[in-house]
Amino acid sequence: MPKILVEQLKPGMKLARPLMNSSGMVLMAEGTELTEARISKIENMGVDSVYTDGPSKPARPKEELLASLDRRFAKVEGNPQMALIKKAVREHIEALYE
Amino acid sequence: MSNLDPKTLRTRVENISTVPTVPSVLKQLSTIIENPKISLNEISHFVSKDPALTTKILQMVNSALYGFPGRISSVNHAVMLLGLNVVKGLLLSVSVFEIMHKAMMGLREHSIGVAIASKVIAQKKGLKEPEEVFVAGLLHDVGKVILILMYPEEYEKAVKESETASIAIFETERNHFSETHAAVAGWLSEKWHFPKKLCDCLANHHRPQVSTLAPLETSIVHMADILVKARGIGFSGDNLVPELNPQAHEILNLTEADLREVLKELEDSVEQTEEEFKA
Repeated sequence: MPKILVEQLKPGMKLARPLMNSSGMVLMAEGTELTEARISKIENMGVDSVYTDGPSKPARPKEELLASLDRRFAKVEGNPQMALIKKAVREHIEALYE
Repeated sequence: MSNLDPKTLRTRVENISTVPTVPSVLKQLSTIIENPKISLNEISHFVSKDPALTTKILQMVNSALYGFPGRISSVNHAVMLLGLNVVKGLLLSVSVFEIMHKAMMGLREHSIGVAIASKVIAQKKGLKEPEEVFVAGLLHDVGKVILILMYPEEYEKAVKESETASIAIFETERNHFSETHAAVAGWLSEKWHFPKKLCDCLANHHRPQVSTLAPLETSIVHMADILVKARGIGFSGDNLVPELNPQAHEILNLTEADLREVLKELEDSVEQTEEEFKA
């Protein structure tokens, strides 16, 4: 679910979260498909960015994330439960880049 | 610090209202919530005096992770739906968030992550009140904030020491303060008359095997803390994943597929939640 700057929005994208004003009133429902008209409406609301459908990729490269994962687990290598947790996190991180 | 023993530390912690470095918002709140007979009206009155606080509380309860987005319009309404204790916990969390962010960069993100993961695991385990475990997750490291506010320089030393020696922060805390942030949170939550299960959870989240009142909830927060640290969300004093307690593992018995699901929900909610609570 990437967060997209309003100036980068394109027609056809869908809102992944409802667009609400500061008091929590829903202005556009979740799943709304964006059109030129809706995009300019969002611009006029003074919103900076919105959540759209689709996977959001981490800002840092995968290798870096996996290397720091190894460092965080360095002290608990050898514990089978921790190995299972590490495996789950590793696969989870790898899936973020697919 | 050589002059600290657990008893002295406890007395000082319980009197945080007299510590000059503790922000007045926390002192006021502490006075309000330590009253065991606090009523809904008093809570509402306290919150309504501060529009920013009201907004933050309503934002939190109306956020998607709470399950009723956009439907709770007043603090009274929130108390009716969530119960006084949950609202008390949320009130403390949102008041502490700002202080938390200044005290230790990344601790707020870590706490939000642990709250979300706790709630997801609680739902998986079929707990009836996942909101209470959510609050336990939010508050599990509040003791760190208190220690930092009371002893900023000494705490800095503890953080440095755990970095250079690569040992967990709760170990170096013990060297410097004679007790850990978990004990500090346990003492304060008792003083603040939080539910006994919550006190137990906060005090024992690094040793869930000694929890007598809430072994399941404590194991959940213990596990959530591990997963959030494993994923590298936020910062909580060290960069090491703590070891899963064998008893907690037995109680929870999560499969790899369960873990993957918790991580996925965590990933989806954390970004959004951070946005909501930043202000």
